[in-house]
Amino acid sequence: MVIGEGKPIKDILFMIENYSKIILAGCRGCVTVCSAGGEKEVGILASALRLARQNEGKEIEIKEVSLERQCDPEYLEEIRSFVDEYEAILSIACGAGVQFLAETYKKTPIYPGINTNFIGVTQEQGVWTERCQSCGNCKLHLTGGICPITRCAKSLLNGPCGGSSDGKCEVNPETDCGWQMIYDRLKELGKLDQMEVIIPINDWTTSRDGGPRKIVREDLKL
Amino acid sequence: MVNLTIDGRKVEVEEGTTVLKAAEKLGIKIPTLCYFEALTPQGACRLCVVEIVGGARRGLSASCAYVAEEGLEVRTDSKRVIEARKLVIELLLLRCPDVPKLQELAEEIGIDRARYERFKPEEEKCILCGLCVRVCQELMHVGAINFVNRGSSRKVSPPFDEYSSVCVTCGACEVVCPTGAINLDEITKNIPRPIKADFDERLATRPSIYLTFPQAVPKVPVIDRQTCMHFLNDACGACESFCGPKAIKYDQEDEVRELDVGSVILAPGFELTNPSLKDEYGYNRYPNVVTSMEFERILSASGPYQGHIQRPSDQSGPEKVAWIQCVGSRDNSCDKGYCSSVCCMYATKEAIIAKEHSPDIKPTIFYMDIRAHGKGFDQYYERARDDYGVRYIQCQISKIVEKPKSKNLIIAFIDKEGKVVEEEFDLVVLSLGMTPSTSSRELAEKLGIETDSYGFCQTDSLNPVKTSRPGVFVCGSFEAPKDIPETVSQASGSAAFASELISEARGTLICEEEFSPERDISGEEPRIGVFVCHCGINIGGVVDVPAVKEYAKSLPHVAYVDENLYTCSQDTQTKIKEVIKENNLNRVVVASCTPRTHEPLFQKTIREAGLNKYLFEMANIRDQCSWVHMDKKEEATKKAKDLVRMAIAAASYVEPLQEQELSVTKRALVVGGGASGMAAALGLADQGFEVALVEKEKELGGNLRHLHYTLRDDGIQTYMQSLIERVKNHPLILVITDGVIVDFTGFKGNFKTGIMAGPGMAYRQIEHGVTIIATGGEEYKPEEYLYGQDKRVMTQQELEGKIVRDEINLGHVNEVVMIQCVGSRIPERPYCSRLCCSAAIKNALKIKEKNPQSRVFILYRDIRTYGLLEDYYTKARKAGIIFIRYDLEEKPQVKIEKGALQVEVDDPALGERVVLNPQLLVLSSAIVPRENEELATLMKLQRTQEGFFLEAHMKLRPVDLATEGIYLCGLAHSPKPLDESLSQAAAAVSRACTLLAHDTVSVGGMVARVDGEKCAVCLTCVRVCPYDVPFINEEGVAQIDAAKCQGCGSCAAECPGKAIQLQHCEDKQIIAKSIALFKVEAV
Repeated sequence: MVIGEGKPIKDILFMIENYSKIILAGCRGCVTVCSAGGEKEVGILASALRLARQNEGKEIEIKEVSLERQCDPEYLEEIRSFVDEYEAILSIACGAGVQFLAETYKKTPIYPGINTNFIGVTQEQGVWTERCQSCGNCKLHLTGGICPITRCAKSLLNGPCGGSSDGKCEVNPETDCGWQMIYDRLKELGKLDQMEVIIPINDWTTSRDGGPRKIVREDLKL
Repeated sequence: MVNLTIDGRKVEVEEGTTVLKAAEKLGIKIPTLCYFEALTPQGACRLCVVEIVGGARRGLSASCAYVAEEGLEVRTDSKRVIEARKLVIELLLLRCPDVPKLQELAEEIGIDRARYERFKPEEEKCILCGLCVRVCQELMHVGAINFVNRGSSRKVSPPFDEYSSVCVTCGACEVVCPTGAINLDEITKNIPRPIKADFDERLATRPSIYLTFPQAVPKVPVIDRQTCMHFLNDACGACESFCGPKAIKYDQEDEVRELDVGSVILAPGFELTNPSLKDEYGYNRYPNVVTSMEFERILSASGPYQGHIQRPSDQSGPEKVAWIQCVGSRDNSCDKGYCSSVCCMYATKEAIIAKEHSPDIKPTIFYMDIRAHGKGFDQYYERARDDYGVRYIQCQISKIVEKPKSKNLIIAFIDKEGKVVEEEFDLVVLSLGMTPSTSSRELAEKLGIETDSYGFCQTDSLNPVKTSRPGVFVCGSFEAPKDIPETVSQASGSAAFASELISEARGTLICEEEFSPERDISGEEPRIGVFVCHCGINIGGVVDVPAVKEYAKSLPHVAYVDENLYTCSQDTQTKIKEVIKENNLNRVVVASCTPRTHEPLFQKTIREAGLNKYLFEMANIRDQCSWVHMDKKEEATKKAKDLVRMAIAAASYVEPLQEQELSVTKRALVVGGGASGMAAALGLADQGFEVALVEKEKELGGNLRHLHYTLRDDGIQTYMQSLIERVKNHPLILVITDGVIVDFTGFKGNFKTGIMAGPGMAYRQIEHGVTIIATGGEEYKPEEYLYGQDKRVMTQQELEGKIVRDEINLGHVNEVVMIQCVGSRIPERPYCSRLCCSAAIKNALKIKEKNPQSRVFILYRDIRTYGLLEDYYTKARKAGIIFIRYDLEEKPQVKIEKGALQVEVDDPALGERVVLNPQLLVLSSAIVPRENEELATLMKLQRTQEGFFLEAHMKLRPVDLATEGIYLCGLAHSPKPLDESLSQAAAAVSRACTLLAHDTVSVGGMVARVDGEKCAVCLTCVRVCPYDVPFINEEGVAQIDAAKCQGCGSCAAECPGKAIQLQHCEDKQIIAKSIALFKVEAV
């Protein structure tokens, strides 16, 4: 899922400084699961903003909503009926949701209340870690199910590099070396010969290098 | 009755009531100085003046002495009254300018400085109100003091200005004096004898009427007739005048009541051993030698020094504190041969708490063996030693010497090198043991039950709660010294046996309560009734209750308000019910004491009036307001208003909740067919309940199969055979052997368990209301000391088998070495296996019995023959068994030299290395839990790190698991000997019966509810629930079964999608409460 975390309250207050009536929109998708933008966070952020603004003597009216998913057009319609009554929307969905809202409601300024960080997993309650950089060209079958693009700080396709020591990465000694993990996993699977296969230079056009990406499924289109 | 009007408000009072009391009834406060409830009013101070505006005698009059008349009209707030009162205070203050009470009154009424000049140069505190004189004369019938002289030299004094010889030093004059002018030392040379508080170990004093101890049941004060002036001199009687509910009854006498009962449980507890038995420690002579119980009180925040650690001689904070263990325990010189079982741990606890109170304290514990044999105790002991720096020195102390000047104490001991060292301590605590009290010995005699030579109740190891007389059972430390978990568990065990005898009569004495149907309040606007309680003077004396009541009236949705002297009284309940009906109320708020004790009462009352019991809110304006803000009355009243406003706000949002009644399946499932499992199954079946007993082996018996004799009994195998026979032949017991539990669902009262049973591994499902886990433990197979490599190395269990089966010719065995703590008390398995010390002694004695010439060595770390087992340790030493201590760091070395076993160990007593060549090396191996991980996962049961099942509360709920309806006994809980397992099995039976005895269980109410629409299936609730209740259902949303939910609210607080609400504590209620707290409405 997409993992995000709340922006500092100071930054948010600065963004909405000039408004006195806003919609605070959460999302019931990924950001609810990672406790960054669900209904609970909407409630907490709204109270924090109200308190801060009350303190400044500039009271603010906040309409609290939680949309089913901000990345599907139908769900964005949930706020259509009252959106014009407000001066701005503060969305705490991921970057995709924020943008999609902006595209849908052209006249209303949209502000992001969270930072979208990565595609990852719940390591344990309260801990999330990155697993995928959506490069568009999956190589997990070659690397024992561990992504070298994400897990190696240098995204090396043929590692490890000289900076791997005691299983840790030279970029950050707290980080496990991705290629050490790949080696260990392949060893466990009895497929160490895989280490000898040279993975050719990557085609990054499927990733960010080819500009914003698009998938069209003719079989699904209406 | 008489009707009068005070400040325009009408009030009806009994004839003879004074205007002061009538005003009090209306909540109008009139200041007084010389008024004392128990004395005839005299109107001496004139502070209580009021203006009589309508009646026979008009004008200013002292309200304390003015008896109310019909039609009387009184003003307490007129200008004339205020002026008069001001003058009174002004003049009093002029006489006694330094009295704080008068300064306060002056400030209240608005006098900043006196208008007159003071000519009297000397300090004066007495306002000549005469209260002291009247108390001494009227109440105490003594008359030690009176007024002497006239005019400006008038004063209170004993006759002829001499010390009074008749004064009884009761101190009443000092207590009643409003200005603190009386000093008993100036009245008499007779020496006051303060009454020592027994609960505070006589380190503090108490009055003649007192609560015996803070947790007394029932929690009512008692009068000490030995010291009460009423009983001694037929005097005083003040408490009777004060007590609002008129609860004081001087003529109460002890009653003899006869009860017809079917069984009796003895739980008379213990006494501390008398410290004077060990005169060499100087208790009574040296003030800074205290008993462990005295130190316990010293540590307590409600104790004699308010929790500051002080030494009795000079109230200074001690730095070096020593504990001496085994004072009056393990000591045949004072006929206390047994171990008291608890002192090692309580000394450790006291040392830790002392250290936490004042980090400068350096605790030292002098001990013989550390007996940390309870569950988790060894870890606690290690924490004390390693993290808290408690110094443990193994040495028996022979005497204490006091340094006369500093009152410090010198202890001589032998250090690790074997040298005698003297060390000075500021405070010494004697760890006293337990002993049966004289009264319990007398009780035993009266009941005709046998006691042992120490006076403990005689039982046998296979019937640990049965006394020598049928129908009479015993529990707790009267049976043998024991710690809280064993005591609590044994108490339940004795209840099982006691109720088994009379199980046929179960339920025959119950009166069912019947309620009228609940009124449907849906669609109604909230109509809230508010009842504000005075709680006598508990609240009313601090908080302005009438003002709170008036304020409540002004709040939204409030339809009715009232105040009561005692809202919990029976007549108030009747009144509340009437009021609810007359005013069509649909919510009730009581502002009084704590919901902890009183919510159920009020909930029952409103239910009787036809309201759902959840339509109720309570504001705690006593414990959380009047009691903690006694000296700030105005602020306390404000806070009480805040609390009431919050409760009303929440009440507007409370909704009726339904509890569901589900029928209870009257059958038990017992998992495990060892001693505990079989005993539990039989216990339940003998109570009349069906039992399914599942054993994974092909035969019943478990560990009992390997046990042939204990220290107390030889016939274990016969016992096992009879147990198995009884289990197999009991018509209510279904035995499933070769069975594996494969699925488990349900909740208390309604469980379903799937079992695959041999030989064909057929599946069957058992429906049951309760589950007892008795999966047991087993002897650890050692990997150390050549075990498995040499046939001469064996475990205690194997040795026992070989002895019984005559596989060893003990006549030819000259030397045996036993090593203790094999696999126990090591970093991988940090617990004590509890039973190996006695197992070793048991087998060693057996060897000695068969071959007295043989030499038996037991290499140990601490010998843990706790309780009455200590006698066998003594017996073993007398039989010539040699005990050698070793350290974890210096484990014995075992090797084979020229075909012979060789054991080397450092003997600290000799200070030399000992080399032994035994023919047998017996390892006292640890007890480990049997494989139970799968079962724990299936049933969602918590386990300790070591894999034993974890009970709901180590001390207070020792056989309950966190999931309701599942209980625990035997080795599955922790290592323990047979008698304790049996006692625990009975405890599990007892706990299970509390559920099985009911036809239905009530579920729901204050439980969590999921809104599936909002659920993001994030699993947060599943992860945070401490009881493993939420799960993701087939519809793909979280589900919480009302029957399993404990209502803790963790899931509701954590749910990121706000899909979970805890009913009765919903967000809207809590938010309404918080908003009400911060938005003060103007009144």
